[in-house]
Amino acid sequence: MTRRISRRALLPLLLAPVVALSACSTGGDSDGVGDGETTIRLMAYATGGFKEKYLKSVVEQFEKTNPGIKVEYDGVVSSAEMLGRLRTQKSNPTIDVVIMDLSVAESANKENIFAPLDPAAVPNMKDLSEHAKVRDNFGPGVTFDNLTLAYNTKAVTTAPTSWNDLWDPAHKGKVSISAPPQLDGIGLTVILGDMLGVDYQRSIDPVVGRLRELAPSVQTWNPQPDTYTLVKSGQVSLALAWNARSQLQRDLSDGALGVALPKEGSIMQVNTINLVKGSKRASAAQTFINYALGPEAQAAFAAEMFYAPTNTLTKVSDAVAQRTVMTPEKLETMIPVDWNWLAEHRAQWTDIWREDVISK
Amino acid sequence: MDGVTRMRTSSRSSGGRTSRAARAALLAPGLVAIGVSFLVPLAWLARMSLNRTVGSAELQSAVSPQSYVDVLTDEFVWKIAWQTLQLGVLVTVLAIAVSYPIALFLARTRSRLRGLLMALAIAPLLTSSVVRTFGWLTLLSDDGVVNSVLSGLGVTSEPLTLTNNRTGVVIALVEIMMPYAIIAMIAGFGRVSKDLEDAAGSLGAGRLRCFLRITFPLSLPGVLTGALMVFVLTISAFVTPRLMGGGRVFVIATEIFDQATTTLDWPRASALSILLLFLFGVFLVLYQRLFRLVEGR
Repeated sequence: MTRRISRRALLPLLLAPVVALSACSTGGDSDGVGDGETTIRLMAYATGGFKEKYLKSVVEQFEKTNPGIKVEYDGVVSSAEMLGRLRTQKSNPTIDVVIMDLSVAESANKENIFAPLDPAAVPNMKDLSEHAKVRDNFGPGVTFDNLTLAYNTKAVTTAPTSWNDLWDPAHKGKVSISAPPQLDGIGLTVILGDMLGVDYQRSIDPVVGRLRELAPSVQTWNPQPDTYTLVKSGQVSLALAWNARSQLQRDLSDGALGVALPKEGSIMQVNTINLVKGSKRASAAQTFINYALGPEAQAAFAAEMFYAPTNTLTKVSDAVAQRTVMTPEKLETMIPVDWNWLAEHRAQWTDIWREDVISK
Repeated sequence: MDGVTRMRTSSRSSGGRTSRAARAALLAPGLVAIGVSFLVPLAWLARMSLNRTVGSAELQSAVSPQSYVDVLTDEFVWKIAWQTLQLGVLVTVLAIAVSYPIALFLARTRSRLRGLLMALAIAPLLTSSVVRTFGWLTLLSDDGVVNSVLSGLGVTSEPLTLTNNRTGVVIALVEIMMPYAIIAMIAGFGRVSKDLEDAAGSLGAGRLRCFLRITFPLSLPGVLTGALMVFVLTISAFVTPRLMGGGRVFVIATEIFDQATTTLDWPRASALSILLLFLFGVFLVLYQRLFRLVEGR
C-alpha cells in the first residue's frame, strides 16, 4: 500500500504544508488608495475601556468630519507589546498611527520606527502643553494621566488623603502595588522621593527604606487580573492606581471603587500619538493625528474617560475637570518627572525593588 | 522505548526502494511544521540574544556576547535560577506522590468505570492553566472556600495566606501537573504485572514488602518519565507563578516575560531563554542516564 501511494502522492504531500503556510501570510496590503477612500490603521490600547471610549469619542467623530478617511483600530494590551509588533514589521509597516506611553515611544523614535510629524500638517501641535511636547517634532502627548489611590468604599469609609495612608496598619494585608518594571511602582518611587525631599536621580535609598516598611502590608505586587478588579471585589482595600481607569471603574461599579488624589501631589503619565515611519498613508495619518490633538477630540475623550487633555485650548465641564488633573490647583501639585531618564534606569530600579523591598 | 525501536526495525525490514520516498513524503509535513514553528524561531532567538540594548530599551543590531555575560554575572539571575529548580523539585515530588496511587489504580483496575475514571483524571487538561489558576486564586483567597472551611471548623482563627505567595504557586502547580503525571505513569506502568505480586505474596512477602520490592521498582520507569515531564513543565511554567505569586515568586519564565514585554530588553530575554533551553538539555541527558540505569537492572 505504501508503494502505491508514494509516487503519486509524494508531490502533493510535500507541497501541502508549503501551500498551507503561504495561505497564512497576509495576501497583499489593501491600502485602500485609489477608490477615493483611505483606510489608516491606528494601534492603541485594547483594555480598560480605552478602545471602546476612543472609538466612540474620537474615531467616529473624525470619520464623520473626514468622509474620505476610515480608521481601523488595532487594540494591543501594552505599549511594550506595541513596540514588539512594530519592530517585526519595521521594513514594511502595516500600522500608520500609534498611541503609546511616552518612554516606550522614545525607544521607537530612536530605533527609526516612528517619523517626526510635519508641523504644517499637524497645526494643533503648537497649542499643546509644555509637558506634551516631544523633541524634534516626534509624536507629542495626546493624553495625560496620573497616579492616584483607588480604594474599596466599603472597607475604607473615609477617603484617603495622603500617600502615607498606604502605611496605615488598618490596611495591613489589603494593599496592592504594581511593582516595577510597571510604571506604577516607578512613579510611586518618584513621589516618595519628593515627599522625603530626595532627588530621585541621585539616590533612592531613603525611599527604599520607607517602602520596606510598607512591604508587610502589601498583599500583591502584581495584581491579577488587575488592580481595579481587586479593589472592586474587596480583595484589597487600597491600591496604587491610575486616575483615568479608576474614574471609569468608579462609574461602572456604582461607587464600589473610590478614587483619591493625595494632597502631596502625583506624577503625570503621558501617552503620545505617533506617525509610523514608512507609512504609505502618512498624509491621512497626520490628518487624524491633528484631529486627535484638537480641542474637540480632546474634550470628548476627557469627558468619556477622564484622561486630562494635552491641548491647552481644550474646554471641558467643571465636573470633568475635577476628576482629572486639569484644574490649575491640581496641576500645581504635580511632581516633575523625566520619563526618559527613568526609562534608562528602569531595570536598575526594578532590581532594587526586588532585592530590597519585595524579597525582604 | 522498546516499542519504538521495534517499530523502526520492522518498517526498515519490510520497506523497499520506494517506501523510502514514501517515508520522506510522510515525514515532510511534520519536518516542515517543526522547522517553521520551532527551528526558525529558535534561530531567530539565538540571533536576537547577540544583539545589544542601549539606554532605555533601544535595540541595536550587533554580534556581541554582552547579554550572556550580563545574565551570567547577575546574582539575581542565579538566585531565580536556583529558586526555579527548587520549585521544580518540590512540585515534581508532590505531584508524583499524589498522582502515583491514582495512576497505579487506573493502570490496574478492571472496573467497567475505568474509562470514565480515566477521563475524569485527564479532564482538567481540557481547561487552560490560566482558568485553573484563577480557580485556585478563588478557592485559596482569604475568604475563599479553603479558609472558610478551616475557620468554620475552628482550625484557624486568622485566614491563612495561601495566595500571592509561594505556597499558592506550589498548590496550584501540583494540581495542574497531576494529569500529566498520571498519563505518563500509566504509560510507563506496562511492566508492573499482577502475577509477579501474586508470586511474591505466595512466597510470603507482606503487602508493604511486596510494594517496596516488586511493584515500586518495576514502576520506576513510569515514575521517571512522569517526573521528567512534571519537572520540565514546572521550571518552564509561567502562568501560575505569575498569577498566583503576587509578584513575590520569581522564576526564570517570569523573568523572561518581564524582560521581553515590559523592560523590552529582547537580547537579555533571548539569552535567558537559550540558557533555560540549555538547562532542559542537561535534564534530558540526566533523565536518559537514570532511565537506562533503572531499565538495565
